[in-house]
Amino acid sequence: MSRLQKSAVYWLCLSPLAVVILLPYAVMLSTALKPRAEVLSFPPTWIGSELRFANFAEMWASTGFGPSLAASLIVSAAATVVCLLVAIPAAYALARLRFRGRTLYAQLLLITQMLSPIVLVIGIFRLMAAMGLVDQLWALVLTYGAFNLAFAVWMLQSYFSTIPKELEEAAWIDGATGLQSLTLVFLPMALPAVAVTSIFVFIYSWNEFVLALTLMRSPDKFTLPLKIFSLVGGAYRIDWEYVMAATFLASVPVAIVFSWLQRYLVRGLSVGSVK
Amino acid sequence: MQRATLLPYVMILPSVALAIWIIGYPIYDVAHTSLHDVNRFGQVREFAGIANFAALWADPIAIASFWRTLIWTVAVVGGTIVVSVPIALMLDDDFIGQGLARVIVMLPWAVSLAMTAIVWRWTLNGQYGMLNATLFNLGLLDGPVEWLATAEVAFPVMIAIGILVSIPFTVTVFLGGLASLPRDIFEAARIDGATAWQRFTQLTLPLLRPFINIAIVLNIIYVFNSFPIIWVLTQGDPANSTDILVTYLYKLAFRYGRLDVAAAMSLVMFAALLAFTIVYAWMVMRGRQAEAAET
Repeated sequence: MSRLQKSAVYWLCLSPLAVVILLPYAVMLSTALKPRAEVLSFPPTWIGSELRFANFAEMWASTGFGPSLAASLIVSAAATVVCLLVAIPAAYALARLRFRGRTLYAQLLLITQMLSPIVLVIGIFRLMAAMGLVDQLWALVLTYGAFNLAFAVWMLQSYFSTIPKELEEAAWIDGATGLQSLTLVFLPMALPAVAVTSIFVFIYSWNEFVLALTLMRSPDKFTLPLKIFSLVGGAYRIDWEYVMAATFLASVPVAIVFSWLQRYLVRGLSVGSVK
Repeated sequence: MQRATLLPYVMILPSVALAIWIIGYPIYDVAHTSLHDVNRFGQVREFAGIANFAALWADPIAIASFWRTLIWTVAVVGGTIVVSVPIALMLDDDFIGQGLARVIVMLPWAVSLAMTAIVWRWTLNGQYGMLNATLFNLGLLDGPVEWLATAEVAFPVMIAIGILVSIPFTVTVFLGGLASLPRDIFEAARIDGATAWQRFTQLTLPLLRPFINIAIVLNIIYVFNSFPIIWVLTQGDPANSTDILVTYLYKLAFRYGRLDVAAAMSLVMFAALLAFTIVYAWMVMRGRQAEAAET
Protein backbone atom coordinates (compact mmCIF):
# COMPACT_ATOMS: atom_id res chain seq x y z
CA MET A 1 0.00 0.00 0.00
CA SER A 2 1.46 3.32 -0.99
CA ARG A 3 1.75 6.25 1.40
CA LEU A 4 -0.98 8.05 -0.52
CA GLN A 5 -3.40 5.12 -0.23
CA LYS A 6 -2.60 4.69 3.44
CA SER A 7 -3.21 8.39 4.08
CA ALA A 8 -6.57 8.20 2.31
CA VAL A 9 -7.63 5.18 4.39
CA TYR A 10 -6.52 6.83 7.64
CA TRP A 11 -8.37 10.04 6.88
CA LEU A 12 -11.46 8.05 5.94
CA CYS A 13 -11.31 6.27 9.33
CA LEU A 14 -10.69 9.51 11.22
CA SER A 15 -13.31 11.55 9.36
CA PRO A 16 -16.36 10.64 11.48
CA LEU A 17 -14.48 11.68 14.61
CA ALA A 18 -13.17 14.83 12.94
CA VAL A 19 -16.70 15.79 11.90
CA VAL A 20 -18.05 15.33 15.44
CA ILE A 21 -15.13 17.31 16.90
CA LEU A 22 -15.41 20.17 14.42
CA LEU A 23 -19.23 20.32 14.35
CA PRO A 24 -19.47 22.43 17.55
CA TYR A 25 -17.08 25.01 16.07
CA ALA A 26 -19.18 25.23 12.92
CA VAL A 27 -22.33 25.61 15.05
CA MET A 28 -20.63 28.29 17.19
CA LEU A 29 -19.60 30.36 14.19
CA SER A 30 -22.83 29.82 12.30
CA THR A 31 -25.05 30.94 15.18
CA ALA A 32 -22.73 33.73 16.36
CA LEU A 33 -22.94 35.39 12.94
CA LYS A 34 -26.70 35.12 12.36
CA PRO A 35 -29.19 37.94 12.79
CA ARG A 36 -31.30 37.38 15.90
CA ALA A 37 -34.54 36.70 14.05
CA GLU A 38 -32.96 33.86 12.10
CA VAL A 39 -31.43 32.10 15.11
CA LEU A 40 -34.86 30.94 16.21
CA SER A 41 -36.33 30.21 12.80
CA PHE A 42 -37.38 26.81 11.58
CA PRO A 43 -35.88 25.01 9.74
CA PRO A 44 -32.46 26.30 10.86
CA THR A 45 -29.82 26.99 8.22
CA TRP A 46 -26.04 26.95 8.42
CA ILE A 47 -25.57 30.41 6.97
CA GLY A 48 -27.91 33.30 7.70
CA SER A 49 -29.01 36.01 5.27
CA GLU A 50 -26.02 38.14 6.36
CA LEU A 51 -22.81 37.58 8.33
CA ARG A 52 -23.58 39.74 11.32
CA PHE A 53 -20.24 40.51 13.00
CA ALA A 54 -22.00 43.17 15.09
CA ASN A 55 -23.29 40.32 17.30
CA PHE A 56 -19.85 40.15 18.89
CA ALA A 57 -19.85 43.84 19.86
CA GLU A 58 -23.44 43.70 21.11
CA MET A 59 -22.73 40.56 23.10
CA TRP A 60 -19.68 42.23 24.67
CA ALA A 61 -21.75 45.20 25.78
CA SER A 62 -24.90 43.42 26.94
CA THR A 63 -23.56 40.32 28.73
CA GLY A 64 -20.73 41.81 30.77
CA PHE A 65 -18.15 39.80 28.84
CA GLY A 66 -15.39 42.33 29.63
CA PRO A 67 -15.42 41.95 33.45
CA SER A 68 -15.59 38.16 33.09
CA LEU A 69 -12.68 38.16 30.69
CA ALA A 70 -10.73 40.23 33.22
CA ALA A 71 -11.73 37.87 36.05
CA SER A 72 -10.65 34.85 34.02
CA LEU A 73 -7.33 36.47 33.10
CA ILE A 74 -6.58 37.55 36.68
CA VAL A 75 -7.54 34.21 38.23
CA SER A 76 -5.70 32.11 35.65
CA ALA A 77 -2.53 34.23 35.78
CA ALA A 78 -2.47 34.42 39.59
CA ALA A 79 -3.19 30.70 39.98
CA THR A 80 -0.38 29.92 37.55
CA VAL A 81 2.06 32.11 39.50
CA VAL A 82 1.06 30.61 42.87
CA CYS A 83 1.26 27.07 41.51
CA LEU A 84 4.63 27.55 39.81
CA LEU A 85 6.22 29.38 42.75
CA VAL A 86 5.37 26.44 44.96
CA ALA A 87 6.02 23.69 42.40
CA ILE A 88 9.43 24.80 41.10
CA PRO A 89 11.38 24.26 44.35
CA ALA A 90 9.51 21.02 45.01
CA ALA A 91 10.26 19.71 41.53
CA TYR A 92 13.90 20.73 41.92
CA ALA A 93 14.14 18.83 45.20
CA LEU A 94 12.56 15.74 43.64
CA ALA A 95 14.78 15.87 40.57
CA ARG A 96 18.10 16.71 42.23
CA LEU A 97 18.13 15.84 45.92
CA ARG A 98 17.87 12.57 47.79
CA PHE A 99 15.97 12.81 51.05
CA ARG A 100 14.02 10.67 53.48
CA GLY A 101 10.29 10.82 52.87
CA ARG A 102 10.71 11.36 49.15
CA THR A 103 8.37 8.44 48.38
CA LEU A 104 5.87 9.61 50.96
CA TYR A 105 5.89 13.05 49.35
CA ALA A 106 5.34 11.54 45.89
CA GLN A 107 2.38 9.58 47.29
CA LEU A 108 0.92 12.73 48.83
CA LEU A 109 1.12 14.40 45.42
CA LEU A 110 -0.58 11.42 43.82
CA ILE A 111 -3.51 11.67 46.24
CA THR A 112 -3.99 15.38 45.53
CA GLN A 113 -3.95 14.58 41.82
CA MET A 114 -6.57 11.86 42.16
CA LEU A 115 -9.04 13.99 44.12
CA SER A 116 -11.18 16.16 41.99
CA PRO A 117 -12.62 19.38 43.41
CA ILE A 118 -16.17 18.07 43.14
CA VAL A 119 -15.66 15.38 45.79
CA LEU A 120 -14.32 17.99 48.21
CA VAL A 121 -16.59 20.81 47.11
CA ILE A 122 -18.43 20.96 50.45
CA GLY A 123 -15.23 21.10 52.47
CA ILE A 124 -13.69 23.68 50.15
CA PHE A 125 -16.80 25.82 50.29
CA ARG A 126 -16.84 25.70 54.10
CA LEU A 127 -13.11 26.46 54.27
CA MET A 128 -13.49 29.49 52.01
CA ALA A 129 -16.58 30.64 53.92
CA ALA A 130 -14.62 30.41 57.18
CA MET A 131 -11.80 32.49 55.68
CA GLY A 132 -14.25 35.02 54.24
CA LEU A 133 -13.13 34.24 50.70
CA VAL A 134 -16.47 33.28 49.17
CA ASP A 135 -17.08 35.51 46.14
CA GLN A 136 -13.41 36.55 46.19
CA LEU A 137 -11.19 35.71 43.22
CA TRP A 138 -8.54 34.60 45.74
CA ALA A 139 -10.63 31.54 46.54
CA LEU A 140 -10.28 30.37 42.94
CA VAL A 141 -6.59 31.29 42.76
CA LEU A 142 -5.76 29.14 45.80
CA THR A 143 -7.86 26.14 44.81
CA TYR A 144 -6.70 26.11 41.19
CA GLY A 145 -3.09 26.42 42.36
CA ALA A 146 -3.48 23.54 44.81
CA PHE A 147 -5.27 21.20 42.41
CA ASN A 148 -2.59 21.72 39.74
CA LEU A 149 0.30 21.20 42.09
CA ALA A 150 0.89 17.52 41.41
CA PHE A 151 0.65 17.95 37.64
CA ALA A 152 3.07 20.91 37.71
CA VAL A 153 5.59 19.15 39.95
CA TRP A 154 5.55 16.05 37.72
CA MET A 155 5.92 17.99 34.50
CA LEU A 156 8.74 20.14 35.87
CA GLN A 157 10.54 17.28 37.54
CA SER A 158 10.59 15.23 34.35
CA TYR A 159 12.24 18.13 32.49
CA PHE A 160 14.51 19.14 35.36
CA SER A 161 16.09 15.70 35.51
CA THR A 162 17.17 16.08 31.87
CA ILE A 163 19.26 19.19 32.65
CA PRO A 164 22.87 18.10 33.30
CA LYS A 165 23.93 18.53 36.89
CA GLU A 166 27.51 19.33 35.84
CA LEU A 167 26.48 22.84 34.77
CA GLU A 168 25.50 23.80 38.28
CA GLU A 169 28.55 22.09 39.75
CA ALA A 170 30.73 24.14 37.42
CA ALA A 171 29.03 27.28 38.72
CA TRP A 172 29.72 26.22 42.31
CA ILE A 173 33.39 25.65 41.52
CA ASP A 174 33.52 29.12 39.99
CA GLY A 175 32.37 30.43 43.36
CA ALA A 176 28.62 30.84 42.86
CA THR A 177 26.38 30.27 45.87
CA GLY A 178 23.59 27.71 45.72
CA LEU A 179 21.00 30.41 45.11
CA GLN A 180 23.11 32.04 42.38
CA SER A 181 23.64 28.80 40.52
CA LEU A 182 19.93 28.10 40.82
CA THR A 183 18.75 31.46 39.50
CA LEU A 184 21.56 32.20 37.03
CA VAL A 185 22.36 28.76 35.62
CA PHE A 186 19.54 26.33 36.30
CA LEU A 187 16.38 28.38 35.90
CA PRO A 188 17.30 29.91 32.51
CA MET A 189 17.82 26.38 31.18
CA ALA A 190 14.55 25.22 32.72
CA LEU A 191 12.61 28.14 31.28
CA PRO A 192 10.98 26.22 28.40
CA ALA A 193 9.65 23.61 30.82
CA VAL A 194 8.40 26.32 33.16
CA ALA A 195 6.69 28.07 30.25
CA VAL A 196 4.94 24.93 29.00
CA THR A 197 3.81 23.93 32.49
CA SER A 198 2.54 27.47 33.13
CA ILE A 199 0.42 27.40 30.03
CA PHE A 200 -1.21 24.12 30.98
CA VAL A 201 -2.00 25.38 34.49
CA PHE A 202 -3.34 28.56 32.93
CA ILE A 203 -5.61 26.60 30.56
CA TYR A 204 -6.93 24.43 33.41
CA SER A 205 -7.78 27.55 35.41
CA TRP A 206 -9.30 29.22 32.37
CA ASN A 207 -11.64 26.27 31.81
CA GLU A 208 -12.54 25.23 35.38
CA PHE A 209 -16.27 25.22 36.15
CA VAL A 210 -17.39 23.50 39.37
CA LEU A 211 -15.40 25.59 41.85
CA ALA A 212 -16.28 28.83 40.09
CA LEU A 213 -19.96 27.80 40.15
CA THR A 214 -19.75 27.10 43.89
CA LEU A 215 -17.53 29.93 45.14
CA MET A 216 -18.56 32.94 43.05
CA ARG A 217 -21.68 35.01 43.67
CA SER A 218 -21.48 38.36 41.88
CA PRO A 219 -21.85 38.24 38.08
CA ASP A 220 -19.01 40.73 37.56
CA LYS A 221 -16.61 38.23 39.18
CA PHE A 222 -17.80 35.23 37.16
CA THR A 223 -15.04 33.59 35.16
CA LEU A 224 -15.88 32.96 31.51
CA PRO A 225 -17.25 29.37 31.71
CA LEU A 226 -19.51 30.44 34.58
CA LYS A 227 -20.54 33.64 32.80
CA ILE A 228 -21.53 31.72 29.68
CA PHE A 229 -23.32 29.10 31.77
CA SER A 230 -25.25 31.90 33.50
CA LEU A 231 -26.40 33.09 30.07
CA VAL A 232 -28.12 29.75 29.37
CA GLY A 233 -29.19 28.83 32.89
CA GLY A 234 -32.27 30.35 34.43
CA ALA A 235 -32.94 33.01 31.81
CA TYR A 236 -36.41 32.82 30.32
CA ARG A 237 -35.10 33.83 26.93
CA ILE A 238 -31.69 32.62 25.81
CA ASP A 239 -29.89 34.81 23.25
CA TRP A 240 -28.10 31.95 21.56
CA GLU A 241 -26.26 34.20 19.09
CA TYR A 242 -24.64 35.98 22.08
CA VAL A 243 -23.94 32.71 23.88
CA MET A 244 -22.20 31.29 20.81
CA ALA A 245 -20.25 34.51 20.17
CA ALA A 246 -19.07 34.50 23.80
CA THR A 247 -18.17 30.79 23.68
CA PHE A 248 -16.25 31.34 20.48
CA LEU A 249 -14.24 34.24 21.94
CA ALA A 250 -13.59 32.34 25.18
CA SER A 251 -12.51 29.06 23.62
CA VAL A 252 -10.84 29.61 20.26
CA PRO A 253 -7.70 31.51 21.46
CA VAL A 254 -7.10 28.82 24.08
CA ALA A 255 -7.69 26.07 21.53
CA ILE A 256 -5.07 27.59 19.23
CA VAL A 257 -2.44 27.84 21.97
CA PHE A 258 -3.25 24.32 23.12
CA SER A 259 -2.98 22.88 19.60
CA TRP A 260 0.45 24.38 19.32
CA LEU A 261 1.57 22.93 22.67
CA GLN A 262 -0.10 19.51 22.74
CA ARG A 263 3.04 17.68 21.58
CA TYR A 264 4.77 18.68 24.84
CA LEU A 265 2.03 16.89 26.73
CA VAL A 266 2.82 13.58 25.05
CA ARG A 267 6.37 13.91 26.30
CA GLY A 268 5.53 15.30 29.74
CA LEU A 269 2.85 12.74 30.51
CA SER A 270 4.81 9.77 29.28
CA VAL A 271 7.81 10.78 31.37
CA GLY A 272 5.94 12.18 34.35
CA SER A 273 3.11 9.84 35.17
CA VAL A 274 4.14 6.59 33.59
CA LYS A 275 7.82 6.32 34.34
CA MET B 1 25.97 19.59 56.48
CA GLN B 2 22.98 20.72 58.54
CA ARG B 3 21.89 22.97 55.68
CA ALA B 4 22.26 20.25 53.07
CA THR B 5 19.97 17.85 54.95
CA LEU B 6 17.32 20.47 55.61
CA LEU B 7 17.32 21.95 52.12
CA PRO B 8 14.99 19.43 50.39
CA TYR B 9 12.41 19.81 53.15
CA VAL B 10 12.52 23.58 52.90
CA MET B 11 11.96 23.24 49.17
CA ILE B 12 8.95 20.95 49.39
CA LEU B 13 7.45 22.72 52.41
CA PRO B 14 5.40 25.35 50.51
CA SER B 15 3.79 22.69 48.33
CA VAL B 16 2.98 20.50 51.32
CA ALA B 17 1.52 23.50 53.14
CA LEU B 18 -0.65 24.49 50.17
CA ALA B 19 -1.87 20.92 49.70
CA ILE B 20 -2.73 20.48 53.38
CA TRP B 21 -4.45 23.86 53.54
CA ILE B 22 -6.59 23.65 50.40
CA ILE B 23 -7.01 19.88 49.97
CA GLY B 24 -6.17 18.27 53.32
CA TYR B 25 -8.34 20.45 55.54
CA PRO B 26 -11.45 20.04 53.34
CA ILE B 27 -11.00 16.25 53.57
CA TYR B 28 -11.08 16.55 57.36
CA ASP B 29 -14.01 18.96 57.23
CA VAL B 30 -16.07 16.69 54.96
CA ALA B 31 -15.40 13.74 57.27
CA HIS B 32 -16.34 15.82 60.31
CA THR B 33 -19.51 17.16 58.66
CA SER B 34 -20.61 13.70 57.56
CA LEU B 35 -20.75 12.54 61.18
CA HIS B 36 -22.77 15.51 62.43
CA ASP B 37 -26.18 17.01 61.98
CA VAL B 38 -26.13 20.19 59.88
CA ASN B 39 -29.02 22.65 59.80
CA ARG B 40 -30.28 24.45 56.73
CA PHE B 41 -27.94 27.37 57.32
CA GLY B 42 -24.88 25.17 57.21
CA GLN B 43 -24.21 25.21 60.96
CA VAL B 44 -22.73 21.95 62.19
CA ARG B 45 -24.65 20.77 65.28
CA GLU B 46 -24.69 17.60 67.36
CA PHE B 47 -22.89 14.36 66.62
CA ALA B 48 -25.09 12.14 64.48
CA GLY B 49 -23.10 8.93 64.22
CA ILE B 50 -23.80 7.12 60.98
CA ALA B 51 -27.27 8.68 60.58
CA ASN B 52 -26.21 10.58 57.44
CA PHE B 53 -24.82 7.44 55.85
CA ALA B 54 -28.05 5.62 56.74
CA ALA B 55 -30.07 8.44 55.14
CA LEU B 56 -27.96 8.10 52.03
CA TRP B 57 -28.49 4.35 51.94
CA ALA B 58 -32.26 4.82 52.31
CA ASP B 59 -32.45 7.44 49.53
CA PRO B 60 -33.70 5.79 46.32
CA ILE B 61 -32.37 8.67 44.18
CA ALA B 62 -28.88 8.20 45.63
CA ILE B 63 -29.00 4.48 44.90
CA ALA B 64 -30.29 5.11 41.36
CA SER B 65 -27.54 7.70 40.85
CA PHE B 66 -24.98 5.16 42.02
CA TRP B 67 -26.07 2.60 39.42
CA ARG B 68 -26.21 5.29 36.76
CA THR B 69 -22.69 6.37 37.70
CA LEU B 70 -21.57 2.79 37.20
CA ILE B 71 -23.13 2.67 33.72
CA TRP B 72 -21.77 6.13 32.91
CA THR B 73 -18.23 5.27 33.98
CA VAL B 74 -18.08 1.84 32.34
CA ALA B 75 -19.64 3.07 29.09
CA VAL B 76 -17.52 6.22 28.77
CA VAL B 77 -14.24 4.60 29.78
CA GLY B 78 -14.86 1.45 27.74
CA GLY B 79 -15.91 3.41 24.69
CA THR B 80 -12.96 5.76 25.02
CA ILE B 81 -10.39 2.98 25.23
CA VAL B 82 -11.87 1.03 22.31
CA VAL B 83 -11.93 4.12 20.09
CA SER B 84 -8.58 5.51 21.23
CA VAL B 85 -6.38 2.49 20.47
CA PRO B 86 -6.89 2.56 16.68
CA ILE B 87 -6.72 6.38 16.65
CA ALA B 88 -3.41 6.36 18.50
CA LEU B 89 -2.03 3.68 16.15
CA MET B 90 -2.95 5.80 13.14
CA LEU B 91 -1.61 9.03 14.65
CA ASP B 92 1.64 7.27 15.54
CA ASP B 93 2.11 6.20 11.93
CA ASP B 94 3.47 8.45 9.22
CA PHE B 95 0.81 9.72 6.79
CA ILE B 96 -0.10 12.84 4.86
CA GLY B 97 -1.69 15.41 7.19
CA GLN B 98 -0.61 13.62 10.37
CA GLY B 99 0.09 16.90 12.17
CA LEU B 100 -3.34 18.28 11.31
CA ALA B 101 -5.03 15.04 12.39
CA ARG B 102 -3.26 15.20 15.76
CA VAL B 103 -4.40 18.77 16.30
CA ILE B 104 -8.03 17.90 15.47
CA VAL B 105 -8.09 14.85 17.75
CA MET B 106 -6.60 16.86 20.64
CA LEU B 107 -8.96 19.82 20.18
CA PRO B 108 -11.72 18.82 22.66
CA TRP B 109 -9.13 18.81 25.46
CA ALA B 110 -8.46 22.51 25.06
CA VAL B 111 -12.01 23.71 25.55
CA SER B 112 -13.80 23.98 28.87
CA LEU B 113 -16.16 21.03 29.39
CA ALA B 114 -18.85 23.49 30.44
CA MET B 115 -18.52 25.40 27.17
CA THR B 116 -18.40 22.21 25.09
CA ALA B 117 -21.59 21.09 26.79
CA ILE B 118 -23.26 24.47 26.17
CA VAL B 119 -22.50 24.29 22.46
CA TRP B 120 -23.81 20.72 22.33
CA ARG B 121 -26.96 21.75 24.19
CA TRP B 122 -27.65 24.25 21.42
CA THR B 123 -26.62 21.85 18.66
CA LEU B 124 -29.00 19.21 20.07
CA ASN B 125 -31.91 21.63 20.45
CA GLY B 126 -34.96 19.79 19.12
CA GLN B 127 -36.40 22.64 17.08
CA TYR B 128 -33.55 24.96 16.15
CA GLY B 129 -30.49 22.74 16.62
CA MET B 130 -28.20 22.09 13.68
CA LEU B 131 -27.96 18.36 14.40
CA ASN B 132 -31.60 17.67 13.63
CA ALA B 133 -31.47 20.01 10.62
CA THR B 134 -28.36 18.33 9.22
CA LEU B 135 -29.58 14.77 9.81
CA PHE B 136 -32.94 15.72 8.28
CA ASN B 137 -31.29 17.20 5.19
CA LEU B 138 -29.21 14.03 4.78
CA GLY B 139 -32.41 12.00 4.92
CA LEU B 140 -31.39 10.25 8.15
CA LEU B 141 -34.29 11.60 10.20
CA ASP B 142 -38.02 11.85 9.44
CA GLY B 143 -38.80 14.50 12.03
CA PRO B 144 -37.17 16.44 14.87
CA VAL B 145 -35.79 14.41 17.79
CA GLU B 146 -35.85 15.93 21.29
CA TRP B 147 -32.38 14.75 22.27
CA LEU B 148 -32.36 16.01 25.84
CA ALA B 149 -36.00 15.70 26.88
CA THR B 150 -36.00 12.10 28.10
CA ALA B 151 -33.35 10.12 29.96
CA GLU B 152 -33.54 7.23 27.47
CA VAL B 153 -32.15 9.48 24.73
CA ALA B 154 -30.29 12.10 26.77
CA PHE B 155 -28.11 9.70 28.77
CA PRO B 156 -26.62 7.86 25.74
CA VAL B 157 -26.03 11.26 24.09
CA MET B 158 -24.15 12.43 27.20
CA ILE B 159 -22.13 9.22 27.20
CA ALA B 160 -21.16 9.88 23.58
CA ILE B 161 -20.04 13.43 24.46
CA GLY B 162 -18.18 12.02 27.47
CA ILE B 163 -16.29 9.66 25.17
CA LEU B 164 -15.52 12.47 22.73
CA VAL B 165 -13.89 14.65 25.39
CA SER B 166 -11.97 11.73 26.95
CA ILE B 167 -10.33 10.66 23.68
CA PRO B 168 -7.58 13.33 23.60
CA PHE B 169 -6.10 12.47 26.99
CA THR B 170 -6.30 8.74 26.31
CA VAL B 171 -4.72 9.04 22.87
CA THR B 172 -1.96 11.15 24.44
CA VAL B 173 -1.15 8.40 26.94
CA PHE B 174 -1.13 5.80 24.15
CA LEU B 175 1.07 7.95 21.91
CA GLY B 176 3.54 8.26 24.79
CA GLY B 177 3.41 4.48 25.14
CA LEU B 178 3.84 3.82 21.42
CA ALA B 179 6.82 6.19 21.29
CA SER B 180 8.55 4.14 23.97
CA LEU B 181 8.13 0.79 22.18
CA PRO B 182 11.31 -0.69 20.68
CA ARG B 183 11.01 -0.32 16.90
CA ASP B 184 13.47 -3.10 16.03
CA ILE B 185 11.14 -5.83 17.37
CA PHE B 186 8.48 -4.76 14.87
CA GLU B 187 11.05 -4.72 12.07
CA ALA B 188 12.16 -8.24 13.03
CA ALA B 189 8.54 -9.47 13.13
CA ARG B 190 7.92 -7.98 9.69
CA ILE B 191 11.00 -9.69 8.27
CA ASP B 192 9.88 -12.97 9.83
CA GLY B 193 6.62 -12.64 7.88
CA ALA B 194 4.15 -11.59 10.60
CA THR B 195 1.05 -9.92 9.16
CA ALA B 196 -0.05 -6.50 10.32
CA TRP B 197 -2.86 -8.09 12.37
CA GLN B 198 -0.41 -10.54 13.99
CA ARG B 199 1.97 -7.73 14.82
CA PHE B 200 -0.93 -5.82 16.39
CA THR B 201 -2.28 -8.67 18.54
CA GLN B 202 1.05 -10.36 19.37
CA LEU B 203 3.29 -7.32 19.82
CA THR B 204 1.58 -3.93 20.00
CA LEU B 205 -1.29 -4.82 22.33
CA PRO B 206 0.79 -6.74 24.92
CA LEU B 207 3.48 -4.05 24.91
CA LEU B 208 0.86 -1.30 25.18
CA ARG B 209 -0.86 -3.15 28.02
CA PRO B 210 0.60 -1.08 30.92
CA PHE B 211 -0.40 2.14 29.18
CA ILE B 212 -3.91 0.82 28.55
CA ASN B 213 -4.20 -0.10 32.22
CA ILE B 214 -3.08 3.33 33.34
CA ALA B 215 -5.43 5.03 30.88
CA ILE B 216 -8.30 2.91 32.22
CA VAL B 217 -7.59 3.77 35.86
CA LEU B 218 -7.06 7.49 35.24
CA ASN B 219 -10.14 7.70 33.01
CA ILE B 220 -12.25 5.92 35.62
CA ILE B 221 -11.23 8.59 38.12
CA TYR B 222 -11.88 11.49 35.72
CA VAL B 223 -15.18 10.18 34.37
CA PHE B 224 -16.49 9.20 37.80
CA ASN B 225 -15.89 12.83 38.82
CA SER B 226 -17.19 14.38 35.63
CA PHE B 227 -19.70 17.08 36.47
CA PRO B 228 -20.04 19.80 33.79
CA ILE B 229 -21.41 17.74 30.87
CA ILE B 230 -24.43 16.43 32.75
CA TRP B 231 -24.91 19.62 34.76
CA VAL B 232 -25.02 21.83 31.68
CA LEU B 233 -27.06 19.51 29.45
CA THR B 234 -29.82 18.40 31.84
CA GLN B 235 -28.83 19.25 35.45
CA GLY B 236 -29.56 15.58 36.13
CA ASP B 237 -33.21 16.09 35.23
CA PRO B 238 -35.96 15.35 34.17
CA ALA B 239 -36.86 14.25 37.73
CA ASN B 240 -33.31 13.16 38.64
CA SER B 241 -33.39 10.60 35.83
CA THR B 242 -29.95 11.54 34.46
CA ASP B 243 -28.24 12.27 37.81
CA ILE B 244 -24.94 10.61 38.56
CA LEU B 245 -23.36 10.74 42.03
CA VAL B 246 -21.50 14.03 41.53
CA THR B 247 -24.52 15.93 40.19
CA TYR B 248 -26.78 14.53 42.90
CA LEU B 249 -24.14 15.39 45.50
CA TYR B 250 -24.14 18.96 44.27
CA LYS B 251 -27.94 19.19 44.40
CA LEU B 252 -28.03 17.71 47.92
CA ALA B 253 -25.47 20.20 49.16
CA PHE B 254 -26.38 23.42 47.41
CA ARG B 255 -29.99 23.03 46.30
CA TYR B 256 -31.71 20.78 48.84
CA GLY B 257 -29.64 22.12 51.78
CA ARG B 258 -28.57 18.67 53.00
CA LEU B 259 -24.87 19.38 53.58
CA ASP B 260 -24.62 16.53 56.09
CA VAL B 261 -25.91 13.80 53.76
CA ALA B 262 -23.93 15.29 50.89
CA ALA B 263 -20.78 15.15 53.04
CA ALA B 264 -21.46 11.48 53.79
CA MET B 265 -21.79 10.92 50.04
CA SER B 266 -18.50 12.76 49.42
CA LEU B 267 -16.77 10.54 51.94
CA VAL B 268 -18.05 7.36 50.31
CA MET B 269 -16.86 8.65 46.93
CA PHE B 270 -13.53 9.68 48.43
CA ALA B 271 -13.05 6.13 49.71
CA ALA B 272 -13.83 4.74 46.26
CA LEU B 273 -11.35 7.13 44.65
CA LEU B 274 -8.68 6.27 47.17
CA ALA B 275 -9.11 2.59 46.34
CA PHE B 276 -8.63 3.41 42.65
CA THR B 277 -5.59 5.54 43.48
CA ILE B 278 -4.00 2.65 45.32
CA VAL B 279 -4.64 0.41 42.31
CA TYR B 280 -3.02 3.04 40.12
CA ALA B 281 0.04 3.44 42.35
CA TRP B 282 0.42 -0.33 42.45
CA MET B 283 0.27 -0.49 38.66
CA VAL B 284 2.88 2.24 38.24
CA MET B 285 5.14 0.46 40.67
CA ARG B 286 4.69 -2.88 38.93
CA GLY B 287 5.42 -1.23 35.60
CA ARG B 288 8.57 0.28 37.02
CA GLN B 289 9.71 -3.08 38.35
CA ALA B 290 9.08 -4.69 34.97
CA GLU B 291 11.11 -1.92 33.37
CA ALA B 292 13.94 -2.38 35.87
CA ALA B 293 13.90 -6.12 35.19
CA GLU B 294 14.28 -5.50 31.46
CA THR B 295 17.30 -3.22 31.71
